[in-house]
Amino acid sequence: MLKDITVSFAPHISKPLSTRRVMLDVAVGLIPAVAAAGVYFRLHALLLIGVCVAWCVATEWFCNVIRKKPNSLGDYSAVVTGLILALALPPGLPLWAAAIGASVSIVIGKMVFGGLGANVFNPAMVGRAFLTASFGVLMTAWAVPATIDSAMPAISQEGVVDTRTQATPLAWSKIAIKQQAEAETFSSRQFLSTLTGEVGGCLGETSALAILLGAAYLIWRRTINIHIPLAVLSSALVFGGIAYLIDPETYVQPFFHLTSGALLFGAFFIATDPVTAPLTRRGMWLFGIGVGAITMVIRVLGEYPEGLMYAVLLMNAVTPLIDRLCRRIPAGGRPNA
Amino acid sequence: MTTDSQGRFSFSRGVHPPDSKHLTEDKPIAPGPPVKELAIFLSQHIGAPCQATVKKADTVQAGQEIGECQGFVCAPVHAPIAGKVKEITLRSHPVLGRSPAVTIVAESEIQPTPPAFTLPDGFDPQQYAPEQICDAAREAGLVGMGGAGFPTSVKIQHDAKPPKHTLLVNACECEPYITCDYRIMLEWTDQVIAGIRLAQRACGVSKVFIGIEDNKPKAIEIMTDALQKLGLGETMTVARLETKYPQGGERQLIDAVLGETVPTGGIPPQIGVVVLNVATAAALADAVINNRPLTHRVVTVTGEAIANPGNYYVAIGTPVETLIDFCGNVTTKSAKVVMGGPMMGLAIADLSTPITKTSGAITVLTKEQIGQAKFERRQTACIRCGRCLEVCPENLNPTRIAHAVKSNLLDVAERYFIGACIECGCCSYVCPANIELTGYIKTGKIFLARQRKKMPV
Repeated sequence: MLKDITVSFAPHISKPLSTRRVMLDVAVGLIPAVAAAGVYFRLHALLLIGVCVAWCVATEWFCNVIRKKPNSLGDYSAVVTGLILALALPPGLPLWAAAIGASVSIVIGKMVFGGLGANVFNPAMVGRAFLTASFGVLMTAWAVPATIDSAMPAISQEGVVDTRTQATPLAWSKIAIKQQAEAETFSSRQFLSTLTGEVGGCLGETSALAILLGAAYLIWRRTINIHIPLAVLSSALVFGGIAYLIDPETYVQPFFHLTSGALLFGAFFIATDPVTAPLTRRGMWLFGIGVGAITMVIRVLGEYPEGLMYAVLLMNAVTPLIDRLCRRIPAGGRPNA
Repeated sequence: MTTDSQGRFSFSRGVHPPDSKHLTEDKPIAPGPPVKELAIFLSQHIGAPCQATVKKADTVQAGQEIGECQGFVCAPVHAPIAGKVKEITLRSHPVLGRSPAVTIVAESEIQPTPPAFTLPDGFDPQQYAPEQICDAAREAGLVGMGGAGFPTSVKIQHDAKPPKHTLLVNACECEPYITCDYRIMLEWTDQVIAGIRLAQRACGVSKVFIGIEDNKPKAIEIMTDALQKLGLGETMTVARLETKYPQGGERQLIDAVLGETVPTGGIPPQIGVVVLNVATAAALADAVINNRPLTHRVVTVTGEAIANPGNYYVAIGTPVETLIDFCGNVTTKSAKVVMGGPMMGLAIADLSTPITKTSGAITVLTKEQIGQAKFERRQTACIRCGRCLEVCPENLNPTRIAHAVKSNLLDVAERYFIGACIECGCCSYVCPANIELTGYIKTGKIFLARQRKKMPV
């Protein structure tokens, strides 16, 4: 007869799905971007990715040891943090700086809050913000993709690291516009390059096609839902469009904003980090619109050419408020209403 | 009314668990295990428990009332077999913990066989007055046999306000594994339709819908044909529903078929709808036409760990143990005995727990299967992925409510409408972090109920 019968709450069956599987999906979704980074920035890119991932995993393990907590590496979230951080770094960054960024990501970004699920800010963006604040010069040195020679206009500076560098399309357009150069022709010429990724920029951010390929996989797997990326991109388009309409001489056309810089990568892989984004659909739209708007404000009005990182971090901070604001109302309406 | 591209009715959100009905769907309703000793609970329904009308050592006849009503919302209980009252003691009840039950011992083992049901010649529900139908349902101790156990006589009352316009017959059987309602529709078609017509007469509604999920095409065909033959096609319609859990939840069913919403915390009669399970309809026909009380029911004994799964006609009060033995016992891998289906059923520890009027199935699951369920798998912190929000049929925020309960913040749980939860289990089913969200929410509801009664939490 029966021995050791288990008693627990219903339901007694469940979908074969786990946190590890979700994280693994994100990692798989990042493969095209990693591959693109490998193609355009060669060995150093792969080294950077390797160092970030390894360092994130090691730091998390170490944190668990000193906190005397069970090992949490099995959920693979450290791997994902490492990948996203690496793909948001400039290709010429020294490996030691990447390692520092990875440690900050895990320790300050995640473990001090209590580990996965408890962090307020996107860990990878915390690490990147730390690096931007600490090593400003290193973080804005953009190596030219190895596949092209020097197709970009001549605003480049002396190589900081052991390679040639150049301005990113966004930074370039900003400077060029200030000098009243031929911004219009430039941006349309560069538009194609931003799709394939043959431009300067962060490792994973340059190739729009690789990003979209990975994003399509995540949406097909239902690992991310479309609402946040859609909100980020459409609000960026709207605010970029407003700026362009106000003064087409000064600002680049809005579609250029979408494919350049971190916007696409951020919309699909950074802003969609479930832990730090709102839960409800209305909340997701509010969050996404906020990210898009702040990014455009920084890009158009601010000193930085790029603003997605700060936009995500700022919106992360208000996520609990958004969640409170956008409560779900039961299907049957409010009780006794 | 909302239909999808294939003309099926459905509701928003929900989940698609594997239905596992292949184990028993082709097994005809067979006589259940022979029994000598039965334990009949005095509370098998929602409402006031019955008062025992027999004493220890009394002799009872089959079908005799052994527990009488103590209130309006109540249903009497009857002895399924003739015998002597052995004792009236507390037994473990699947829902209520320890609850009083009358134990009846027969002289010899009796095997229940499904009684032959023949419709009287020229049967017409108009021959019966609505009050007569209600009274018959009350005397027979009819309760909703789909699981909740609300007394049928209260549900189908004629004079209740507001006026009722639609009768929805719930034949979805959206729970995986269970096939008892399906077999009843296939084998007792006339009885089911007679019961539905009587219920329609009792509550005086003009429209009747029979909601069947499209994973039971045979049942849809048979019911449609039978209605056609009787010329009832105008007032009664078979609604083909998408196979999705919890399609058979009454709030979801009403939304799917009628496109109407039952207010949160409300019940279907508020919007003029009566929802009746098919097994209850069959029992109603038996009660009104043959004056037979509800003492037996069809139970699906199923699950991968059962040697001979099947659908059986079982005396109410039969211990689960006897039923499992009768089905060729269990394989060694068995690990969990569930009264009901795997999504909402209650896992029991005491195998002498008797079958009640509301137990439609005994599901015995293997270690591998429950190994896939929450408590066996590694649980991580909530990653706020929002899957539970995506599937919640009541549009709630399960993770927020569950974590509020976990942190003992019952006021927060209430602010997120914990009371609107129908405990369908969709959130726990999809959770990748393997958190028992439904379990926390159920616990929170119990805490709140105790708090209101000023009991210690």
